[in-house]
Amino acid sequence: MTRAPTFDEIFATMSAASVGDAAARVAVPDDPQLDDLATRFAIAVNVLLDDLALRSAELEAAHKVTQTELERQVAERTLELANVNQELEAFSYSVAHDLRAPLRSLDGFSQALLEDYADKLDAEGKRYLRHIRESAQQMARLIDALLTLSRVTRSELHREPVDMTALARSVVARLQRDAPERRAEFVISDGLVANGDARLLGVILENLLGNAWKFTGKRPVARIEFGVREEDSRRAYFVRDNGAGFDMAYADKLFGVFQRLHSAAEFEGTGIGLATVQRIVRRLGGRVWANGEVGRGATFHFTLEEGR
Amino acid sequence: MIDEKVILLVEDNPKDEELTLRALRKNNIRNEIVVARDGAEALDYLFARGAHAGRDPGALPAVVLLDLKLPKISGLEVLRRARAEERTKLLPVVILTSSNEERDLLEGYSSGCNSYVRKPVDFNQFAEAVRQLGLYWLALNEGPPPTGRT
Repeated sequence: MTRAPTFDEIFATMSAASVGDAAARVAVPDDPQLDDLATRFAIAVNVLLDDLALRSAELEAAHKVTQTELERQVAERTLELANVNQELEAFSYSVAHDLRAPLRSLDGFSQALLEDYADKLDAEGKRYLRHIRESAQQMARLIDALLTLSRVTRSELHREPVDMTALARSVVARLQRDAPERRAEFVISDGLVANGDARLLGVILENLLGNAWKFTGKRPVARIEFGVREEDSRRAYFVRDNGAGFDMAYADKLFGVFQRLHSAAEFEGTGIGLATVQRIVRRLGGRVWANGEVGRGATFHFTLEEGR
Repeated sequence: MIDEKVILLVEDNPKDEELTLRALRKNNIRNEIVVARDGAEALDYLFARGAHAGRDPGALPAVVLLDLKLPKISGLEVLRRARAEERTKLLPVVILTSSNEERDLLEGYSSGCNSYVRKPVDFNQFAEAVRQLGLYWLALNEGPPPTGRT
């Protein structure tokens, strides 16, 4: 290039650079006439474009480093998570074996005393032994409930269409069969199908329907409903009962682990069932909530992320 | 005939051993009960070697009540080795354990157990389970014919 650049050439270069041509520069003579305005402007534009190219390269390099670093962190966390899960698996497995054996001894030898030394014990002594047995059995139920809770997080999800109507009917059939003397009315909507993990959905219904059954235990006729409603354009399943209900003031405690709103004297329980339901529902992408009134029953609602 | 049948109880926990024996006694099951306290002892008994070298190897128990968590050699390993030998491959084995973890059930049945019974904490239920096991395996069930070299 021997002549001075023109302003048209300068604007053309700036245009080209602005649409992504990183190499676009204004052609300037080797011995530029620095008293020519166009020449001075062209040189300035070239400097700016060089600067821009440098900054872009630096940014890209920095971005690559961050990207690699993030990927490394993700890989590290994934490995940590896999390790934690494995430890949890081993821990739960130990619990299954090691915690139950001593409980069996407590229960078994208390019973042995009651049977083999009945004549040497007065009524009070026998009552103490029965307390020991009941406590051992309660602890066994707690262990089982905690293991179920831990399985919720550990297990793999298998999504499929699940006949909730049939599931609910089989749960209530078993409840009625185990307590044939109880009078109950079950209202279960037909044709309810959910998309989710069949086993986990079963645990939800076992817990919610089981609770409804338990807390209607003092009613002459229990009434338990299972159905679905539209709630903010999402389907919400519900289990409603006419049982003991609960005080809404303590509603936020319902789903805590080991939290109970009734004393053991009123209704037995582990205080883990609803925590399990909440964990499952969250894992399945939904939420669970409840409303109730003391003495007038309760309704538990849950939504699921049913996906495509 | 029933009374000649031997039960091999493989159990490392002495309290569980005592409770099981008591439950069998209470249910009038008076058969000889041999107790092995770890996996190695169980195999020594089944193969008539080690501490049990003087035993007739052809005389097998009518049923083995097998705990899974054992010292030295695990219950599942005992089962696998028993199944790998001609003489003991048809031996009735009932896994009797605290665990109801799915993987134990799967491994137990895959390794060839005949039955899997969970030991309940409630002693009455436990005694009832032992009673049913005794009655079934000693009285009702027809054991396999002898196999292998005698």
